[in-house]
Amino acid sequence: MNTTPFHRALWLTGWIAGLFCLLVCALLVYEHFAAAVNDPWKAPQLLALKDKLAAEPRNEAVQKEIRRLDQKFRQKTRLRLALDQSGAWLLLGGTLALVLAAGKAAALQRTPPLPQPKTDAGEQSLILASRARRSLGGVALAVAGALLLIRLGNPSVLPANQAAGQKLPGQAGAAQTPAEEAPALSEFQNNWPRFRGWDGSGAAAQTNSGTNVAWRSPIPAPGHSSPVVWGDRVFISGGTAAKREVFCYNVASGALLWQRAVEQVPGSPPKVPEVPEDTTYAASTMATDGRRVYAIFANGDLGALNFDGSVAWTKYLGPLKNPYGYAASLALWGTNLLVQLDAGDTPEEGSKLISLQGANGRVLWERSRPVSASWATPIVVEAAGRTQIITLSKPFVIAYAPADGTELWRADLLANEVVPSPVFAGGLVVLINPADKLLALRPDGAGDVTKTCVAWTNEENVPDIPSPAGGGDLVFTVTSMGMVKCFEARDGKKNWETNFDTEVKASPGIAGDRLVVLSVNGLLVLLRAGRELEEIGRSQLADKFIASPAFAGGRIFLRGATNLYCLGPEGVQPAKQP
Amino acid sequence: MLRRLKFLGALGVMLLLAWVVCAEQRFPPPDFESGYRLPPTSAPAARQLWRQYADAGVFLAALAAALWLIYKKRSRRGLFWLSLFSLAYFGFFRKGCICAIGSPQNIVYALFDPDYAVPVTALIFCFAPIVVALFAGRAFCAGVCPQGALQDFMLIKPVTVPPWLEQALSVIPYVFLGAGLIYAGTGTGFVICRYDPLVPFFRLSGGSFILTLGAAFLLAGMFVGRPYCRFLCPYGGLLRLASLASKWRVRVTPDACTQCRLCEQSCPFGAMREPAPAGTGPQGLGAARIRLGWTLALLPVLVAAGAWAGSKLSPAAAQLDPAVALAERYVRQQSAPVQYGLMTPEALSLQRASDNPEAILKAAADLRRRFDLACWLFGGWIGLVIGLKLLALSVLPGRTDYEPDRGACFGCARCFTACPNERVRLGWMPAAEKPAPL
Repeated sequence: MNTTPFHRALWLTGWIAGLFCLLVCALLVYEHFAAAVNDPWKAPQLLALKDKLAAEPRNEAVQKEIRRLDQKFRQKTRLRLALDQSGAWLLLGGTLALVLAAGKAAALQRTPPLPQPKTDAGEQSLILASRARRSLGGVALAVAGALLLIRLGNPSVLPANQAAGQKLPGQAGAAQTPAEEAPALSEFQNNWPRFRGWDGSGAAAQTNSGTNVAWRSPIPAPGHSSPVVWGDRVFISGGTAAKREVFCYNVASGALLWQRAVEQVPGSPPKVPEVPEDTTYAASTMATDGRRVYAIFANGDLGALNFDGSVAWTKYLGPLKNPYGYAASLALWGTNLLVQLDAGDTPEEGSKLISLQGANGRVLWERSRPVSASWATPIVVEAAGRTQIITLSKPFVIAYAPADGTELWRADLLANEVVPSPVFAGGLVVLINPADKLLALRPDGAGDVTKTCVAWTNEENVPDIPSPAGGGDLVFTVTSMGMVKCFEARDGKKNWETNFDTEVKASPGIAGDRLVVLSVNGLLVLLRAGRELEEIGRSQLADKFIASPAFAGGRIFLRGATNLYCLGPEGVQPAKQP
Repeated sequence: MLRRLKFLGALGVMLLLAWVVCAEQRFPPPDFESGYRLPPTSAPAARQLWRQYADAGVFLAALAAALWLIYKKRSRRGLFWLSLFSLAYFGFFRKGCICAIGSPQNIVYALFDPDYAVPVTALIFCFAPIVVALFAGRAFCAGVCPQGALQDFMLIKPVTVPPWLEQALSVIPYVFLGAGLIYAGTGTGFVICRYDPLVPFFRLSGGSFILTLGAAFLLAGMFVGRPYCRFLCPYGGLLRLASLASKWRVRVTPDACTQCRLCEQSCPFGAMREPAPAGTGPQGLGAARIRLGWTLALLPVLVAAGAWAGSKLSPAAAQLDPAVALAERYVRQQSAPVQYGLMTPEALSLQRASDNPEAILKAAADLRRRFDLACWLFGGWIGLVIGLKLLALSVLPGRTDYEPDRGACFGCARCFTACPNERVRLGWMPAAEKPAPL
């Protein structure tokens, strides 16, 4: 062996470089496994704090501690990644030194070749070719075997041809969930299937005849959503940051039949957004088509529950970028669910209108909307010979075709943030641009109808929160200060006004010939829903009321802060409290 | 001692994986309580145009330098330094992208997708080495390819791969090339880039599978010269074909071959071919002609069989496409639901699919139709490659001297100074010591 000082130095360098590489590798491997085992974001201390926060979402001290820990973990992780990067370069340098030294040492140690002449090269080349052909056969078999393994290891469930493809779930020819027939219009009219009744006007077909409290049941979770009613069941939603639920009560007795949490929604992040206390997580009123009941919450979770309380499907539609919390209610067109998801401070932040199949939650269509966040609920009307979804949000009133979401017309009339929902009365769409004017629009245009659609306006005491109520040819409005007005729907002529000087947030409702106005402090006023002002009666309930009343089967359902009330006609005896 | 050093070196390369695995870790999303919105995921901006042209300029200059060093200077040392520059610039500085090896995919993708325009730089990186190879052999491999340079650098003690095995394994790059091109043509992705085992080392990051593969190639590369270039590189396969028709070729010596076999000993890549006079051997010319006839007859059979077998591969091959994979998962979920964790990629993709299953299934069906044709072609291509290789092995070469194989020679210039004629020409040894020709 060559033992010159240079040769020895090469060996020594190789050894040192090799040991250095081993040391760096060992440290990196240790770091890697230590980081994998001790994941800081799974630290018991942090998890315990998160559990605590879930139970007490407003606990500032816990939030602060979580933030502190989070920052600490991030700093540690950044430091570790920086160390990894440094280690990588050190390893690269070590490998370089190792290869250079070992390569040179090997070259010095190599014995110079002394090949002998080959006299049988011709024969050898033929033998080589023969062997190569055989080994090529082996390689071909190996390739074929590998491809066969890939084929067998990845079986496909997709159909081989178009005919079979038609039977796949979701395809037009597939054996899907049997098509549901929507309940008859009369069924919708006889119930209270969505926010402000079957057509969103706030008017019920039946006359309500009394304000006697038939029953009162506690509501286990907070919320401002209004009740919906179908048959013998009344539904209401409530929730907190920790849990969002649906409650089902018996119409006759007020007994809580079931309550079901909408949870573990695919794609829904465990951390829910903060929602102002005045809005709550359950501000949106549910909807029901008599088959299922649908609920949406401020975190973006949408759930469909069967009437027995089982979950039909859930879907995450968030995150909902709404500065005051999402509050638009669900609407229906037959058994198709309509969700108005207006978001953000500017029209570019992803507002959209979605139509979903009620049976399975499949998205039928989705339309982007050039609007900012709103809190109004869409209505579906039959007008100008076509079915239209009317939506409000700054700056546009936009009408869509419910079948495919095609935009029918739009009007640039809303300068302010919109809370009141529109109504359809006297052949006109009546809506409110808060703090500005009451407007009535002709829904028979196409394209941009801003300059041609306005039938009339009224700028006196315009409501900002309660929606108007439409009863035939009349429209009733209530301001937040308790001023009630009656207008002719066709020309906007004011018939009368009266002031109860009380705070009102619930939208008024009409049951037969009676206008029901409910104040925040529980004052319930019955007025004649006609061209002459006439007070029929009033009563006082000991609760706080934000949600709007629901009317069905001759009863009025009211959501208080903690109780659900059923007001029955005279003579109905209060049911036994559950 | 040397054995221990090799062991340490091998260990170092293997453990290189661990560090890269560490580098893959990412932050979880922050737990901000209010106000904060995660910034949208954004792709890095395209490289500035002048920088792209600068890359192309450096590339062309490096190619020209390689040609000059191989044919004019006949300098191994010069090629070594050029390789080192290419490794530093195209490898660690440009992080292996843009790279000639993956560029044929850009061309094929553009052929099948009218919305995609091939960047000029991709055209240059793809065609310049091929044009050079058509005239002067694999100058790109000699000193411009960073992958080749990295492996060349790792070579410590080369061992000889049996020539019969080398010949058989030389079809693998064409199989990989075919796979890469069908996936590019169907718009699935650039699998040649995705499964390039050496690029992750330039980027100091990569998946565990590809890093393991890369480490295996580097480890093998300590003893087997350029294993990736010889047995897997699809672009090398293209250059090999182009070099077969090259106008000029690398010559060990401009003088008469002494048949001393020193050049054969000096080539670590098994590219030196020994003399094989046509018509000699125990089987004689007649047997060779009969074999050639049978091989010619076998060629269409192999192509047809390959095409048929390839067509059966389509359902599995298509699953590498994200749209087809999502459709498969969605359909499976309908029949046998699997509960995925919240916010997992699987759960989110299924949610997207359930929003509009018709679109997902239609896209998958369209892709499957494209894959049916592509796999049919792929299978036929494999049959053709094997058939042509059989043909090549059935033709008597008719060589009288030791000379580099036109297709297999990387032009590394190692054999030049091993030749006594060259050493005499350079004045490194007296002419009297030169062995007499046989």
